[in-house]
Amino acid sequence: MIKQNKASKIIDVTLTYACLIAVAFVFFFPCLWIVLASFSKSGSIYSFRGFFPTSYSVGTFKKLFTDTTMYNYPRWFVNTLFVAVGSCLLGTFLTILTAYTMSRFDFKARKPMMKSTMILSMFPSFMGMTAIYILMTQFGMINQIWGLILIYAAGAPMGYLTQKGFFDTIPKAIDEAAKIDGANAAQIFWKINLPLSKPIIVYTALTSFTWPWSDFILPKLLLKEKDLYTVAVGLMSLDETEFARFAAGSVFIAVPIVILYFCLVKNMVNGIAEGAVKG
Amino acid sequence: MKKTVALALASTMLIASFVGCGKSEEKSGTTKAGGENSIFSGELEENVTIQVLENDTAISKGYFSQLIDAFNKEYEKYGITAVDANMDQYLDLANDGPYGYGPDVLYQANDVIMQYAQGKHILPLPVEQLDCYSQVPEAAWDAYKVDVDGQTYTCGVPVNVQCPMMYYRKDLLPEDWKENWDKDGNDTPDMVENWNDMYKFSVARHSEDSNKYGYMKSLYDVYFSSGFLFSYGGYIFGDNNTNPENIGFAAGDSKKGAWVLSQLATAMNEDCIDDTITTNAYSKLADGTYFATLSTPDTYTTFYDELVGNYEEEGLSEEDAKAKADEKLVMTALPKLPESGDLSDENPSFIDSKMMGGVNGYAISSYTKSPNACLAFVDFATKYEMIMLRNETLGISPAREDVAKEVGGLSQEMFANLEKGNIVLMPSIKEVGQIWTPGQTFFTDLAKDAFRAETEKKYKDLDSLQTGLEDMSQQIHDAIFTLE
Amino acid sequence: MTNRFKTLIKNFIESSWRVKLSAVLMGGAQISYGCIGKGLLFFLTEVAAVAYFVNRGISDIEGFFTLGTTKADAWTGTLGDNSVVMLLMGIFAWIVLGIFVAIYVTNLKDALAVEADVKSGKKPKSFLTELKELLDKKFYITVLVLPVIGVCIFNVLPIIFMILISFTNYGGSIVPPELVDWVGIDNFKKILTLSKFAPTFIRILGWNVLWAILSTTLNYFAGLGLALLLNKDCVKGKAFWRAFPVLAYAIPGFITLLAFKFMFSYGGPINEIIRMNGGTAIGFLDLDAKWSARIIGLIVNCWISVPSIMLLATGHLSNRDMSLYEAARIDGATPLQQFKKLTLPFMLFATTPVLLGQFIGNFNNFGIFYFLRGGLYLDGYFLASDTDLLINWLYNLSIDNNYYCIGAAISLIIFAITSVISLVVYVNSPSFKEEDTFQ
Repeated sequence: MIKQNKASKIIDVTLTYACLIAVAFVFFFPCLWIVLASFSKSGSIYSFRGFFPTSYSVGTFKKLFTDTTMYNYPRWFVNTLFVAVGSCLLGTFLTILTAYTMSRFDFKARKPMMKSTMILSMFPSFMGMTAIYILMTQFGMINQIWGLILIYAAGAPMGYLTQKGFFDTIPKAIDEAAKIDGANAAQIFWKINLPLSKPIIVYTALTSFTWPWSDFILPKLLLKEKDLYTVAVGLMSLDETEFARFAAGSVFIAVPIVILYFCLVKNMVNGIAEGAVKG
Repeated sequence: MKKTVALALASTMLIASFVGCGKSEEKSGTTKAGGENSIFSGELEENVTIQVLENDTAISKGYFSQLIDAFNKEYEKYGITAVDANMDQYLDLANDGPYGYGPDVLYQANDVIMQYAQGKHILPLPVEQLDCYSQVPEAAWDAYKVDVDGQTYTCGVPVNVQCPMMYYRKDLLPEDWKENWDKDGNDTPDMVENWNDMYKFSVARHSEDSNKYGYMKSLYDVYFSSGFLFSYGGYIFGDNNTNPENIGFAAGDSKKGAWVLSQLATAMNEDCIDDTITTNAYSKLADGTYFATLSTPDTYTTFYDELVGNYEEEGLSEEDAKAKADEKLVMTALPKLPESGDLSDENPSFIDSKMMGGVNGYAISSYTKSPNACLAFVDFATKYEMIMLRNETLGISPAREDVAKEVGGLSQEMFANLEKGNIVLMPSIKEVGQIWTPGQTFFTDLAKDAFRAETEKKYKDLDSLQTGLEDMSQQIHDAIFTLE
Repeated sequence: MTNRFKTLIKNFIESSWRVKLSAVLMGGAQISYGCIGKGLLFFLTEVAAVAYFVNRGISDIEGFFTLGTTKADAWTGTLGDNSVVMLLMGIFAWIVLGIFVAIYVTNLKDALAVEADVKSGKKPKSFLTELKELLDKKFYITVLVLPVIGVCIFNVLPIIFMILISFTNYGGSIVPPELVDWVGIDNFKKILTLSKFAPTFIRILGWNVLWAILSTTLNYFAGLGLALLLNKDCVKGKAFWRAFPVLAYAIPGFITLLAFKFMFSYGGPINEIIRMNGGTAIGFLDLDAKWSARIIGLIVNCWISVPSIMLLATGHLSNRDMSLYEAARIDGATPLQQFKKLTLPFMLFATTPVLLGQFIGNFNNFGIFYFLRGGLYLDGYFLASDTDLLINWLYNLSIDNNYYCIGAAISLIIFAITSVISLVVYVNSPSFKEEDTFQ
């Protein structure tokens, strides 16, 4: 019996790892191709033999950061970082608070609000772009980076349902206990629920960082000056003969998100399952 | 043509997502009522900065900084400074201008500029005052004319002519080309003089080595492929490209042009079906996979750099490689077409190739605060010296006759082609936006047909080609008028 | 609602002059009863609102109806009206008016409440107490003010704008400086009478529904499966393995799509490898490739969406009550049973909104086929290709053509279909009905 168990365990582990390797391959393969393209020596255009470039060099990366007369990648990068960090902080804050409130408080407008946000989020968003642009011209916020942050942050709470789903699974009993101890709602949130919701905060932060990081529709609409471009807009404005530079820029755009992931990954799984309180 | 997917999205979905104008605080040049004369009083506005939008190549090759330096020096005494607008070269003035975010002077293609004229986003110009007026041919000025309330206005100043060019490599010609491929003995290989010999050579080159091809070009690209239809009597819109009711892709003997394309496709590989080879054509020509391809004149340097790189890899020094590339890479006008449309015709009579082209030029935004200074800039930038410099730095084909004559060679040839009407200018009406997708669909289908099994072929004879072209015209018509 | 309103009116009529003062000068009653802080706040709101309406609010509302009267002409220097701006600012003024009315009613109610307090001998709540309440019982108000304002301006306003556009003739050659006009339901009539649309609409709708179901299911279960796989105890170096999907997540979607288009194209690496091995090139995405293009679309969409679902599921999984699993194991439940009976219901509960969001997102997934296989009009379809979704078709028909009013009308119809379906699903789902199942 024990032996059989052991055998099945070995099979299980082998299968698991086989799956993992397959998954890793599937996700890595196209990325690898972009990485290889960015190291292609033929600085300007696509020149491959099958899967591999004809020759390698790091010239493109050097060019990406030094040749800034036409395409100021470092500048775009800083702009993007500013927008993404700004909207990440503001957006996460608003989203978490909204989700928490909608999960914990009972008030008249709650169910109607839940239904209406559900409906609002179903609108094909690109139809509304015209309105956003006119609005921003009226507010004088074209060519303003913080105008972008404002829009991203303001739109973020629309996606609160995901986070609400998480808060719904945190037992309310904890709140009740704290209330008896005399804590007010704000304190209960800051001191008790927030620490428990690390995984969802991390998830929210990651998504609200990634969205402005990779979006190009909104910045394209609102930022007219090349010096204000974000990386996504800048990459799209590259000439078609700048294939390697496009690839190099795309590789580098992924770096901050991967770093962010490694910084946050620890917090991702330490939910209440390992926390002190259990329902 | 830079019609990448990216661009299509950027330009159509966002920029063209609406056109706005009107009650904004940024008032137009003058509040006085009246025509162009009151705007262009001739009095230069002093101490102003004008934002100029140039194309990316001009900026990256350094021509633009030379131009504004020269201008700023000349106009220092008036305090007029021209600066790089630092905006996307494909920006939409109709979208940005009314709210005060557009450039003052812009350099774009005629079809783009003239769409602004319909909404009066650019100013009508007193062109007869300009230095270049007499030197630019009527055909080029026509591209910038618009009728408003019964009067004709000119809204742009032509700078250069843009049309497809054939690129090929002399060192890939067969050793014996002088004996066997130069029947008329004019020292120019026959295959770059007429499509029949190009086709014959392509077949021969491919059968010799299955990895090599003669002429290769994505058929998908409407900008290049539609020229074949025009050569046999096809056109885009009726009444000189102004009447979208009359779509002429199937007119005349245009089916013969489609036939020529389908014959050429048989000597290519599947790469001609979609547009990805546009990105790798440069290296394929450089490494000898292709002998010839089509592109616009502004890509010359990309082909050149790539070829130099290849020669260097073969062991030549940088200098030698450059010298060799100078000699071996040739950009020339399009070969002639057989009147019958049959590329295997042994004794064909030839007709001129027509091609789709454009005239790029300067225009002045209606939302500028200093129209006279802008006009001074446009005048300065289209003077003989600047156009000459532009030609030297960028290799463009000038629209000025004196420069074209001086430079000679290809520029003169293109200039002549424009005057003869062999360059079919892109229509200046907004409906032109609807020809691309139906066109791409037809041409990609035509290309694919060459690789379909015999039983599945759609385009076996001229009649079926005619039907295909008519379907395409019908689609364009539907796209334009269904929601009218 | 009407009853409550009637009592309000009744109470107001019976109230003292102080409350009536509040009706004219907001906050008047509060100040006269000694609640100065609150009263001043109400008063300042009124001043601000009046200033706004005198300045531009009234003319904006007027503009909402006229949509402009003078046509602009840049050549003659005529400063005309921009109908689109007028429409938008008109809506904005309506929203401000709505908020003001709400505050006004609150003001009256509050004045009545203060008066009632005073009459019954109680001291009215101090400003400080009320502020404190905002951190406790009424914490939700404090929290929701900012998000609601933001959503109103940047989400609701554009949507209302778009809905109203479908009742105008904005588009085609009628774009500013031309003046736009209200046309009633003409656009909807036009759509319904165009018989050319019907066969294409049905075909595209069929594929669209199939696509939305397939891709949502595929993405959801692949993401969940991946999260479970990475959550297994035997997996060492979880952070490392999880980094691969994150890599895919880190690259912006449009770059991924362009890269995949290139990879599957005739000149791309996949075909080059096939050719080097002596095969003939395969047109994965060309115009004859109906199903292979559709399947590639599904797979690529999966590649893009799975990582984020995986991350989300990982977060949720850590919230499970592990004692239930312990119990199940003791009862001899197989892993499959545990998944079906414990994990899946839990995940479905927590992620129904996400699932719906995914469904809608996929239903309206504009980018995927636009980038992978844009620019084809195929036989049997009216200005569309066989991989196009409704949203792509909408784009071809209207935006590409600048027919914004028709585009708005079509998207309103699509929206009506999708929102009814998903609202029904959502309202009947446990995550809406029984929010405390897993408390």
